[in-house]
Amino acid sequence: MRQDAFSNYHPAVNFLFFVGAIVSCVMIQHPAYLLAGVIASGIYYLLLNGRSGWKTIGALVPLFLFLTVINPLFNTSGVTVLFRVFGRPYTLEALLYGVCVASIFVVMMLWMGCYNKVLTGDKFTCLFGNLIPSVSLLLVMVFRMVPNLIRKTGQIGGARRAIGKGAGGASLKQKLTAGVTILGTLTAWTLEGSVMTGDSMRARGYGTAKRRSFTVYRMTAADWGMLTVLLGLLGTVVGFAIGGSMTATFVPQRSIAPVSGINLLGFAAYCIYLLIPTVLHIQEAIWWNISRYRI
Amino acid sequence: MVEHFKIQNLSFAYPTANGKKALSDVSLSIRKGEYVVLCGRSGSGKTTLLRHLKPELTPHGKRSGKIYFDGILLETLSAHDQAAKIGYVLQDPDDQIVTDKVWHELAFGLESLGCAPQTMRARVAEMACYFGIQDWFHRNVTDLSGGQKQLLNLASIMAMQPEVLILDEPTGQLDPIAAADFLNTVRKINLELGTTVIISEHRLEDVFPYADRALVMDGGHVIADGSPRSVGKLLYEQNHPMRSAMPTPVRVFYGTCKTENTEGMNSTDNCPLTVREGRNWLSAAFPAPPTIRELPTVDTDEAPAQTALSLKEVWFRYEKNAPDVLRGVNALVPTGSLFAVVGGNGAGKSTALKAVCGICKPYRGKIKLFGKAISQYKSAELFHGCVAMLPQDPKSLFVKKTVAEELSEMTGDKELQAQIAALCRITELSDSHPYDLSGGEQQRVALAKVLLTEPRLLLLDEPTKGMDSSFKESFADILTQLKARGVTVVMVSHDVEFCALHADLVGMFFDGQILTVDTPKRFFGSNCFYTTAANRMSRHLFQNAVTTEDVIELYKLNEGVIR
Repeated sequence: MRQDAFSNYHPAVNFLFFVGAIVSCVMIQHPAYLLAGVIASGIYYLLLNGRSGWKTIGALVPLFLFLTVINPLFNTSGVTVLFRVFGRPYTLEALLYGVCVASIFVVMMLWMGCYNKVLTGDKFTCLFGNLIPSVSLLLVMVFRMVPNLIRKTGQIGGARRAIGKGAGGASLKQKLTAGVTILGTLTAWTLEGSVMTGDSMRARGYGTAKRRSFTVYRMTAADWGMLTVLLGLLGTVVGFAIGGSMTATFVPQRSIAPVSGINLLGFAAYCIYLLIPTVLHIQEAIWWNISRYRI
Repeated sequence: MVEHFKIQNLSFAYPTANGKKALSDVSLSIRKGEYVVLCGRSGSGKTTLLRHLKPELTPHGKRSGKIYFDGILLETLSAHDQAAKIGYVLQDPDDQIVTDKVWHELAFGLESLGCAPQTMRARVAEMACYFGIQDWFHRNVTDLSGGQKQLLNLASIMAMQPEVLILDEPTGQLDPIAAADFLNTVRKINLELGTTVIISEHRLEDVFPYADRALVMDGGHVIADGSPRSVGKLLYEQNHPMRSAMPTPVRVFYGTCKTENTEGMNSTDNCPLTVREGRNWLSAAFPAPPTIRELPTVDTDEAPAQTALSLKEVWFRYEKNAPDVLRGVNALVPTGSLFAVVGGNGAGKSTALKAVCGICKPYRGKIKLFGKAISQYKSAELFHGCVAMLPQDPKSLFVKKTVAEELSEMTGDKELQAQIAALCRITELSDSHPYDLSGGEQQRVALAKVLLTEPRLLLLDEPTKGMDSSFKESFADILTQLKARGVTVVMVSHDVEFCALHADLVGMFFDGQILTVDTPKRFFGSNCFYTTAANRMSRHLFQNAVTTEDVIELYKLNEGVIR
């Protein structure tokens, strides 16, 4: 994984950020705010994934268009009728609402993609390990099991092909039988392995005392600082949202709160909040470039 | 109190064994800080004995006798003390690992014992440094090599600061270099921390010389107990089968002693244990350079046999952007020979085998089986009567509940089944579940399954991994019989000693190619590092002596000349 400044913060900070970003994008349906969300999540996603990120974004564009166009087909309310499809009105308001819903979807997908890169499995267990020790251990063991199962399945498949018991070119029924055989072998093999895993756990004192989770992450002053900043910005946004500066309705009639005057403050807070990971990432890149020239 | 473990008249029988004892009347005591190696063939009761020293892992069954740990009965030790004071490393590097991250695995034992976070942090840091794990501390365990995994298992146990370390064939699944590395670390722990070490091993070459004490088990009895030198002597006096597992210098020493007068036999003090001692001992035996330096080579220059397999400029990689694994492999394998490919870990040896049986499709180059390009074969034709591969892990072939069913999955021909079962010596196992068999037995059942496709070209991937010396001998017998039937065998292996003894041709796999193919004598004879222990200890006096038998024979021939 490439280096990312925001990922180096404590998992709690990471987690809070993503919860805030995703929940707010769903709750606030204001076009300006959504646009900010699309831009911020898009840039951060690209920074995290590099060139391969464009593929995902490329795939999201047709999805976005599809969701936009399809909405007026189901939702016919609205005052400005553009044309009629099978006798049903296709309205501008519903189309705009479609843009809005599609953007929410795209932003959510992008933030989720970033979440996966930043909050790895071990960070998640670090956050919730002490709350529910047995569940978090189970999760960790699942993370361990899955790649193992994939590897073993490949091994069994290869071994069977090499004695002419593969499923290549056979009928569907034969393919199914071959699949079931592999599954059976995999189960037996894994069960045998888990006996060993159990031995290894008991040998290291599992169940002798109350488990305590070990973690490599510590809350530092910088983490507390970042947490405060994030909470402050979120508080501001929530305050303005309650004040009604972010309301937007599309059907049956467009009514969108203007982003001007005092409302600009709320919008600014929202933008800063969303751009924090991006800014940190870019800042770090610049800092390293400068220090490289100094050497 | 200097005794760490004291075992008094321990007997044990598994519930399913019909009263047959897995351990009978074992009495011994192990002192603090001792390095004890436990040897014996598969099924001699080593694991059963070791598991009795760790109550959490002790098997269920009928048991009598007493075990004391540090002067108190082992059963009365608290669960916490049992876990913390007695460390136990199992054989399989993979299945022992519980969590997904290296740092988490290191802390697992400490987490279970409920240590304070500060203590955990310090201990984990300490262990990571001591074992050189810093560089891969944040990695996923899936990305580690087998040797790294086993080192991680050891480190995770050492983090609990045990007083005793018990290891049950810890290097069975590792390649020789990783194994030597691991065993050196164990020795370092014993020397630097004074931790008592009890280890069972097949690969005695790296353990035996450094042990304070060797125990030999056979049929649930401890039949020898003493310093490595005296145990070696005892085994040779009794003509015990375990003597074939002794390190090469010991085998050469006693092999040459037989013809001499018995006084040589009595002076066991100068029996060499390491290659260095072996060299010095040979030098002392021949103050003047020996007259006969090389065994007469039996040049059987018959008409060169037909080619069973030919590889020509084969290139392969797994993914478009991945590096090439095979980079222009060339090889010619004559019909009816045993062709061994040796080389480092992850060099691509197994991939080459997969290319030969059509699992990996090379993007350039030609592979011909019996004169016909592999792409010309239909799949059914290819795997019936032509080529078959024995995978590294026999378990990946087991799909049924009994050995007999496993065999009938391959063919309905009862006569052929019986014949192959007899060849692989598994006739009496036909009602057992494959998972109840020992490693060596599983390997032979898997081999039988593969042989039931009646291959003319048999591919073997690391067949001797985890086998003890007597299993290896019977496995070599099976291969010899197959060759006599005209089967060609291609084998990739780390096992230098096995290849030197049994292969007809040996090739070195390096950098995606097969280099320097030659007979084992010339191949290993010209190597200086990558060669057998027998060659390393005798190369300053003899030429091309690569097996223990070669060295013994040359020794005797030269002795005859002197007299």
